[in-house]
Amino acid sequence: MSTAIEYFQFVLAPQMLIGLVLGVAVILVALGLTIIFGLLDVINMSHGEFYALGAFIALALGSIGLPFWLLVILVPLVMLPIGYVVERGLIQRVFHSSERHVTTLLLTFGLGLVMEDAFRLVFGPNPHKPETPIPGAIDVFGVFLPLYRLFLIVGGAVIVALVAVVVYRTRLGAMVRAAAFDRHMAASLGVPVQHVYAGAFAFGVALAGLAGVLLAPIYSVFPTMGRDFILMAFTVVIVGGMGSIAGVVVAGLLLTQVQAISSLYISPVWSDPIVFGIMVIMLMVRPQGLFGRLGHG
Amino acid sequence: MADALTRSMRASHVLVAILVVASLIFAAVGVAKGDTFYLRLGTEALIFAGLALSVDILLGYTGLLSLGQALYFGLGAYVSALVLMVTPSFWAAMGGAFAAAVVVGVVGGVIANRVRGVYFALITFGMAQVAAKVVYNMRSLGASDGLIGVPIINVNFGFAAISSASPAGFFLFTLAFIIILYALAAYLLDTPFGRLLIALKANERRVPFLGYDTVTPRLMAYVIAAVIAALSGALYPMLRGFVSPELLFFSTSGNAVITVVTGGVGTLIGALYGGILLTLLKSVIGSYTEHHLVVIGLLFMGAVIFLPRGLMGIVRPAIERLLARRTKS
Repeated sequence: MSTAIEYFQFVLAPQMLIGLVLGVAVILVALGLTIIFGLLDVINMSHGEFYALGAFIALALGSIGLPFWLLVILVPLVMLPIGYVVERGLIQRVFHSSERHVTTLLLTFGLGLVMEDAFRLVFGPNPHKPETPIPGAIDVFGVFLPLYRLFLIVGGAVIVALVAVVVYRTRLGAMVRAAAFDRHMAASLGVPVQHVYAGAFAFGVALAGLAGVLLAPIYSVFPTMGRDFILMAFTVVIVGGMGSIAGVVVAGLLLTQVQAISSLYISPVWSDPIVFGIMVIMLMVRPQGLFGRLGHG
Repeated sequence: MADALTRSMRASHVLVAILVVASLIFAAVGVAKGDTFYLRLGTEALIFAGLALSVDILLGYTGLLSLGQALYFGLGAYVSALVLMVTPSFWAAMGGAFAAAVVVGVVGGVIANRVRGVYFALITFGMAQVAAKVVYNMRSLGASDGLIGVPIINVNFGFAAISSASPAGFFLFTLAFIIILYALAAYLLDTPFGRLLIALKANERRVPFLGYDTVTPRLMAYVIAAVIAALSGALYPMLRGFVSPELLFFSTSGNAVITVVTGGVGTLIGALYGGILLTLLKSVIGSYTEHHLVVIGLLFMGAVIFLPRGLMGIVRPAIERLLARRTKS
C-alpha cells in the first residue's frame, strides 16, 4: 500500500502537475482559436504567431523597464486593435467567397509565415528567457512546485472562467452567440455583426497574446515558439469541438494528461503521435468533437 | 464543340509546350556554360512542382485542401532512398515508391475522406505530423539526420542510360518525368472519372442522384494524388543523395499549397509554373536577404486576396482567346 502512495507521490503526481501546467498553457492558446472558429468559421493558422507576438511585445516593453504585472494587462490591450485591423483589413476581404474555409485558412497561413519571419528579422533567431516574475517554490503534498507555475494554474482557471462568464452571461456575449448562430437574424435585430466579428477576432488574438506573456517565463521566447503550441492547440480544439469553451478545457486537460502520463511508460517521443492519433480517431468517429459549437447549445 | 473545360485544358497544354521549350533553352545554356548549380536548382524546382501537382488534383478538382501532402512526398523519398541503398535500380525505387504510395494512400484516404472541408485539411495535417514525428524519432531511419549516402544511379531505359550525377541529363529526365505525370493527370481528369470529380466539387449531394458512387471516386483521387506526390518524392534522393525528415514537415506541404495557389488552382499547369516561380523568387530574394519568407508570404497573401485564380487566372484565358481565334479563322 505504501509503495502505491510513494509511487503516486514521487512519480505520478509530479508528472501530472507538469502536465497540468502544460494543459493550462494549451488551453489559453486554444481558447482564442476556438472562439474565432466558433464565431467566424475561420481556422486561424496564424494563431501561433499571434501568441508569439504577445510574447515579443512583452519582451520589447519589458526591456524598457515596464514591470511584468503591467504587461499582463497592457499586452492584450495592444493586441486588440491589431486583431481588429487584421480582421477588417485582411480576413473580411476573402470572408464572403464561396470557399471561405479554404481561403481564410490560406490567408492566415500566409500571415503566419510573414509574422514568423518578421520576428526573426527584428528579434533574431535565438531564444530569450524573461525572468520568472514570482521566484521560489512550494511543497504541495510533498510535490515540488515552482510558485509561478502554481500562479499559472490558478490564473489560467480564472481567465477561462472570466471568458466563459463574458460569453455566456453578458449582453455582449449574447450578441456574439447570436451572431454565431444566425448572422442575418442577429443583424436584423440590431446586432452590429461586422463589429462583433472583428471584435471576436481581436478578442481571440488578445487571448493568444496574453498566453504569450504568461508562458514566456516558462517556455522562453523565440520566433517559432508558436509552432510548438499551435499543433497541440489545434488538436485540443478539434477534440473538444470547434467553438466550444467547455470542450477546450476538457480536451486540453485530458490530452495533456495523456501525454504526461504516457511518457512515464513509453518513450516521450511517442507521446506526440499518441495525441495526434487521438485527434485523427476523433475526426473519424465524431468530427464535431466532444461538445457542440458556440451558440449551438 | 468542345466544352469550357476542354478549351481551358488545351490552353494549359500550350503553356506546357512553352514551359518545355523554355526548359530546353535553359538546359542548353546550362550545358554551354558548364553550370551545375542552376541545373540542379531547376531539377529540384521540377520535383517540388510534382508535389504541387498532386495538391492541385485534390484542391482544384475535388475541392479538398490537403495540408499534409508532404506525407506522400516524404514516403516516396524515403522508400526510394532505402531501395537505392540496397539495389541501385531506378525502376525498383520507383516501383517501391508506387506500391508504398498506393498502400498508404488507401489507408490515409479511407481515414481522411470521412470528413470534408476544414476537417479534411486538419486531418491530413495531423496525419503528416504524426508521420513526421515518427520518422524524426526512428533511429533505423536515421532520425533527425535522415538517410545519407544514397548512391548515384543510372536510369536504364535498355537503349540508353542517364546518370543522376549529370546535371543536364537528370534535369531533362526530371522534366520528362514531371511532364508525363502532368499528361497522365490531365488525361485522367478529362475522362468521365475526372468529370465526376468536378461534379463532386460542385455539389456532392446531387451526384448520387445521378446514379454515381461518391466514395470510390474520392478515394481514387486521393490515391492518385498520393502516387504523384510519392513518385515526385522518389526523384529527390537521386538528385541530392540524401533524404531528411524536413521533407515530411509542414513547411513542405505548406510550400506546395503556396505554389498551387499562386500558380492557379485547378489548372494543373499552375502547379508547374508556380513551382518554378517560387524557386526563382527564393533564390533571387535569397541572394539579397535570408528573410525571403516575408516577401513570399506577402506575395502569397496578395494572391489569395487579389488573384483567387492565381497566375494562370490571368495568363490562361488570354491563351484560350488566342486559340479560339485561330480555330475560327
